[in-house]
Amino acid sequence: MGCSGDLILPTPSPRPPPARGGGGYAELQVASAFSFLRGASSPEELAATASVLGLSAIGITDLNSVAGVVRMWDAAKEVGVRLVVGARLSFRDDTPDLLCYPQDRAAWGRLARLLTVGKGRVPHGDTGDAAKATNRCFLHYTDLLEHGEGQLLLAVAPDRLDVGFRENLQRLQSDFRGRAFLAASRRYRGDDANRLRAMAELPLPMVATNDVLYHLPDRRPLQDVMTCIRLGCRIDQAGLALQPNGERHLKSPKEMERLFREYPEAVRRTEDIVERCGFSLGELAYEYPDEPIPPGLTPDEHLADLTWQGAAVRYPDGIPRRVRDTIEKELLIIAQLNYARYFLTVHDIVRYAVGHGILCQGRGSAANSAVCYCLHITAVDPAQIDVLFERFISTERREPPDIDVDFEHERREEVIQYIYERYGRERAGIAATVIHYRPKRAIREVGKVMGLSEDATAALSAQSWHAGGELWSDDCLTEIGLDPQSFVVRRSIELARQLVGLPRHLSQHVGGFVLTRGRLDETVPIGRAAMDQRTFIEWDKDDIDRLGIMKVDVLALGMLTCIRKAFELLEIKNLAGVPTEDTAVYDMLCRGDSIGVFQVESRAQINMLPRLRPREFYDLVIEVAIVRPGPIQGDMVHPYLRRRQGLEKRDLPSPAPEYGSADELEQVLGRTLGVPLFQEQAMRIAIDAAKFTPEEANQLRRSMATFRNSGTIHRFFEKMVSGMTARGYAQDFAERCFHQIEGFGTYGFPESHAASFALLVYVSAWLKCHHPAAFACALLNSQPMGFYAPAQIVRDAREHGVEVRPIDVAASGWDCTLEEGALRLGFRLINGFSQEWAERLVEARGSSFAAFSFAALVRTGLPRAALVMLAEADALRSQKLDRRAALWQVRGLSDMAELPLFAHQPVAIHHVPLPIMTTGEHVITDYQTAGLSLKSHPMRFLRTLFNGEGVLSCAQAAGLADGTRLSVAGVVLVRQRPGNGNVVFCTIEDETGIANIVVWSSLLERFRRAMMGSSLLLVTGRLQRSPEGIIHVIAERLDDRSAMMARVPETSAAVGRLPMRSPGHPRQERIFPRSRDFH
Amino acid sequence: MWLPHWPITRLSRGVSASPDRPLVTIEAIRGVRHLVAVGVHGEAQGLRPGQTLTDARAVCPTLIPVDADPAADEVALGRLAAWCERFTPMAAPDLPDGLWLDITGCTAVFATEAELARALAARLAWNAIPCRVAVAGTTGAAWALAHAGADRTILPLGEEKAALADLPITSLRLDTGTVTGLRRLGLRTVRDLLRIPRPQITSRFGAMPVLRLDQALGAMEEAIDWPRPLIGWNERLAFAEPIGTPEDLALALAQLAERLCRRLAEQDKGGQRFIAWFFRVDDVVPRITVSTALPARDAAYLTKLLGEKLDTVDPGFGIEVIVLEAETVAPLSAPQTQLADVAAQEASDRLTGVVDTLTNRLGLDRVSRVAPFGSHVPERAVQSIPPLALRQPSWVDDPAAPRPIRLLRRPEEIEVIAPVPDDPPIRFRWRGVSHRVCASAGPERIAAEWWRAKRSGGGRPETDLIRDYYRVEDSDGARFWIFRAGLHAADRMPQWYLHGLFG
Repeated sequence: MGCSGDLILPTPSPRPPPARGGGGYAELQVASAFSFLRGASSPEELAATASVLGLSAIGITDLNSVAGVVRMWDAAKEVGVRLVVGARLSFRDDTPDLLCYPQDRAAWGRLARLLTVGKGRVPHGDTGDAAKATNRCFLHYTDLLEHGEGQLLLAVAPDRLDVGFRENLQRLQSDFRGRAFLAASRRYRGDDANRLRAMAELPLPMVATNDVLYHLPDRRPLQDVMTCIRLGCRIDQAGLALQPNGERHLKSPKEMERLFREYPEAVRRTEDIVERCGFSLGELAYEYPDEPIPPGLTPDEHLADLTWQGAAVRYPDGIPRRVRDTIEKELLIIAQLNYARYFLTVHDIVRYAVGHGILCQGRGSAANSAVCYCLHITAVDPAQIDVLFERFISTERREPPDIDVDFEHERREEVIQYIYERYGRERAGIAATVIHYRPKRAIREVGKVMGLSEDATAALSAQSWHAGGELWSDDCLTEIGLDPQSFVVRRSIELARQLVGLPRHLSQHVGGFVLTRGRLDETVPIGRAAMDQRTFIEWDKDDIDRLGIMKVDVLALGMLTCIRKAFELLEIKNLAGVPTEDTAVYDMLCRGDSIGVFQVESRAQINMLPRLRPREFYDLVIEVAIVRPGPIQGDMVHPYLRRRQGLEKRDLPSPAPEYGSADELEQVLGRTLGVPLFQEQAMRIAIDAAKFTPEEANQLRRSMATFRNSGTIHRFFEKMVSGMTARGYAQDFAERCFHQIEGFGTYGFPESHAASFALLVYVSAWLKCHHPAAFACALLNSQPMGFYAPAQIVRDAREHGVEVRPIDVAASGWDCTLEEGALRLGFRLINGFSQEWAERLVEARGSSFAAFSFAALVRTGLPRAALVMLAEADALRSQKLDRRAALWQVRGLSDMAELPLFAHQPVAIHHVPLPIMTTGEHVITDYQTAGLSLKSHPMRFLRTLFNGEGVLSCAQAAGLADGTRLSVAGVVLVRQRPGNGNVVFCTIEDETGIANIVVWSSLLERFRRAMMGSSLLLVTGRLQRSPEGIIHVIAERLDDRSAMMARVPETSAAVGRLPMRSPGHPRQERIFPRSRDFH
Repeated sequence: MWLPHWPITRLSRGVSASPDRPLVTIEAIRGVRHLVAVGVHGEAQGLRPGQTLTDARAVCPTLIPVDADPAADEVALGRLAAWCERFTPMAAPDLPDGLWLDITGCTAVFATEAELARALAARLAWNAIPCRVAVAGTTGAAWALAHAGADRTILPLGEEKAALADLPITSLRLDTGTVTGLRRLGLRTVRDLLRIPRPQITSRFGAMPVLRLDQALGAMEEAIDWPRPLIGWNERLAFAEPIGTPEDLALALAQLAERLCRRLAEQDKGGQRFIAWFFRVDDVVPRITVSTALPARDAAYLTKLLGEKLDTVDPGFGIEVIVLEAETVAPLSAPQTQLADVAAQEASDRLTGVVDTLTNRLGLDRVSRVAPFGSHVPERAVQSIPPLALRQPSWVDDPAAPRPIRLLRRPEEIEVIAPVPDDPPIRFRWRGVSHRVCASAGPERIAAEWWRAKRSGGGRPETDLIRDYYRVEDSDGARFWIFRAGLHAADRMPQWYLHGLFG
């Protein structure tokens, strides 16, 4: 058949020409991991590799997205590679995919709007998990025409170069003359030579690219796995959907020249394109909105006016000298940095909230300033806490100021809608949160792709709380019954490790709003959120920081709802209406009496209070910050406590004399007795003691936050520790400081936040101390929130002398209320009762409680189900009907009760031989229907039984000496398993009080069932009493006594009853509300 | 009869659960997974139905969760009811986890009701199916006693009231709402309920409680929906005298096949898997199974297939009952015998016949045919599928990656002269003959399937495990498919192979 047309002769001289001196090629077709489940390398990896390979520039073209460009920009700057930013656009019509590179700022704006339009068209309900991950965007060629000015376009060739493609290229050529190109790649598919020759004959000039999916060839397996995750199939079923080879990595200019040796101009053109794309992200000059400024005034003048007006209100007796100085200094800095508009914008939002009676409180680096206090953004009095504004806003770092504002959780949505209304959706958007792969999810998805069995995957993912190197170590694998040598297991783990830390999809930030003066959608594309009316941008908070864009966090806080509700009952106007530095409040906190108090009601905090003994506001700031991963991992808690208790002397870590003054950390650590507790302090040490540049410190913070790149973290560890020890600091102190920063990485807690939280701690503690009834009432009405269930809140209130009255049809409303100083429980506590029923009942009842009768209740027309619930909750006692009688009556009503004829019939009372309800049964039923009982505690009825076993009550236990062996029993309230999993804390309750149980992990395995599964727990162990009088029972044995609960009715009965058979029905009723478990 | 933990019983036949690793079924309610059934082992580990899976895992991390499948439970229950045919023809499922057996007049084989109950329980226990059996004169009483009474209670007629009085009201088959409502009123046992005037109960809880009481105490008949036929596609033949000779058995099978196929034809169905059960006098039930590649209902053909396996059946002391069941049934329309198609139809029938015969003789996994499979690696691009399975979509011929007409079973080593690193070869020697390349295309780079365990990776990096395929044409116009394994490296010359021939 001879040498036919589709074969070509071998080239006689295969040696590629020597590369032209360094560089000469820019890779323009790169999908990073932000092309979700397509690209397999992070922007940082791509930028670093580009630099090593000596590319003259690198482009980034993620599918329908620019979510990764800021990270790429930052990474490219760091390694000194030139970056051009763009996106790969896909179309709904037959237009081929296009790489779109904006040439200037205006074109960037058009690209952002184009993507916004496309994202807006993705139908609702189509934004589910799988869809979220695939960069969906609905575009047509006409959209491109509309937004195409100033863009350079590279058409991506489909698998077959057909007539349609040629026509499309002709269209591009005529519509975008001189700005359209054809991206050509060597695909190693066997037909490269022919394909390139065919492409060279197409209308558009050819540009060499490598259609990059990962930075190095050995990422191919991960990319294959991602494809499988995207398609939802197993790796061995994916077949031809996978890439046939691993060639889609970054290649050196020399290699590209060799591959395109017949088309050198295609390689050269890459550099021309880079030259023509003059746009850099640095040009996205950000301008604050200027809505709130009245005409004729500069922002600085207006801010000054408002501040001084506010100051006059805050200090009616005259502004103290010191405060006046602070304000002047702050205004000066704000003017210098041109931040006035930021403060005015936040003020505007806060003013709206205040005007509508929504309680709010600012926090964040700029919030604890005298200016913010005067603007009512925060209520932390600068006279009360030593505010160091410069500490938070440094003139040299030029970081945007940071103010988060917490609003009542039930009313935050009103504020959000106000912002949208005021700035419009083109100018306001919520920041994105990049959801990264965590070990748990990574191993689950990789395991599925690799065909691991469901239980093997589950077991592996259950291991994922192990930290760093221990994660899926051989020992761990053997422990869960997997063979660490097994190929599939080893491979899956390896791939899961690679996947961890890569972005998975974008989600909306909890409340970070970005507001701009011009159109926001010309800076960054805006997408729609899966839920409700929100819109969010493609960049996350770090990206925004890097670009210097302003963000206001509009957050929700349950405690603010509670405080506002309490204020309403007490007719207090705002946070400032609470007297400051009240000794009684601190006395209460020192006793550890803090159930319901903001932030300090957890077991750990209750234990900390008597040790820290807060006596003034700043102590509360420390209290809030100290029980956190940072100080704990840095082992800073005990040194601080020892110094505070005077057991150890205050000692400032210092460098060797030749490297600096001994008190170089005085400024940083003076206030905390030489022990770093806050995030700012730790970062400050990195700068002052280890001599990090502010930029390095920022990198450190970020690499902590994304916990990827364990390698980089290690680099910082070296740098920080050696930096400090070289200057004469103790090795141990340096290491602890670093671990502390690591801890802040998982949960940062800066002083500025702690100060704002501390105020809410104080206010809620003040309410609890002086108005326990109102406080409990507000807490119950703000549920669900906080740590404790209604039963504990009510019990705590009663222990503080509050009279609590039961739910009753003649007196209760939906909410709990105050009745002559007593707390009346509301219908909201009844399981399943609806607010609408409650309101109908209250309306029908009118004001004449006395005249309310059972007949009147029936006439309200509430459905029978509602009446049954009321009866079951024993809410008809005022009608002289106890629970059982009421139920009998209500059950006897016809469903047609709404009919007027029936409604006017007097309800006859039939006497039937119903068994009498014992108190025990009442108590149990109270718990079942309303979650609590005012009549008694179930443990009371079991006391005789437990006495017989020698089990003590919690109150008795509390009186024993340290080390005594004892048994206590009670209802399980809370189980907590802190991060490292070595111990489980558990709180049990009986009729006399509570006991705190500590279960070490060695014991846990033996008694897991009793520990995790029982509602009534019998604990045998040893009493441990700390010097501050805190009592724990260290468990040695645990018994599940839940079954005894069924005996409560019987033990409280006067007469012996038939023993109850265990019911044959599989579903047993739950008696107690679920314990609050944190595992 | 009550089968506690029925879903678990059903599942534990396929899953290796142990007391330490209890099997549970789960169901998602508004996105949260809850336990539905926990089984004996689960209960012992402290698991409860209704628990969330997260809580359950905290209690027992080793549990094995399986999605609840009530439909499968129901089907299995239906099967079990059919199985009970050996005790009575009147057996019906009592959803979700019980069986009704009407044993009126069935005690002829078993001397007493107690003996029958014992035999039934023993047989189920032997099959690892936990059950509780009660015999009573009313459905309600039997149900109540099976669920809440002593196991294997035999209740004489007329004693229902006394026997039930102390049982909890849950034993009356009432819904949970009603049970909770009654309990809240302090009515816990049947006795409590009997004390209350009936109209008072009815006006509060509807007709159900009173109805159930009446059904239990015999004041009201209860109609049970006995399945007829017991389960869909089976036929049963019972013998007055046990039979045992192969001829008798073959005759009986032919008769059963005839009856079954007639019924299948009536409904335009065909069976693909048939099971014949031989109930021996000594409680052993040998069986034979045959499968056909396509749905079939030809009695003679079926008899032939069954007959070939009949010698595996040991009749022992004789066989009392034979049941023939079509397990997998699919629609099969009447054959269209058009003149033109007769030959094709016959050929196809013959092929089916051959395949079936081969399959039933050699085993299901020994007869197969090859079909395309999605893989970039040439020798992996075929797979075996069942012989008459529907045709898979064939290869989409990719002009970019043409495949040779003949692929060698094993690539053969060749000597090659080619420029480095990856240009096509200039000349090569295969089976002693030298070929000069005059035209070529490639390389087509195909990387190893990294997810398959390497047989001899030899620690080489994965990037090395590639093949570069070239299509080459020699001076005689013969075309070959050759590849180089791996890339050139400083220390190693890669080996070349010939893998296929075009034309």
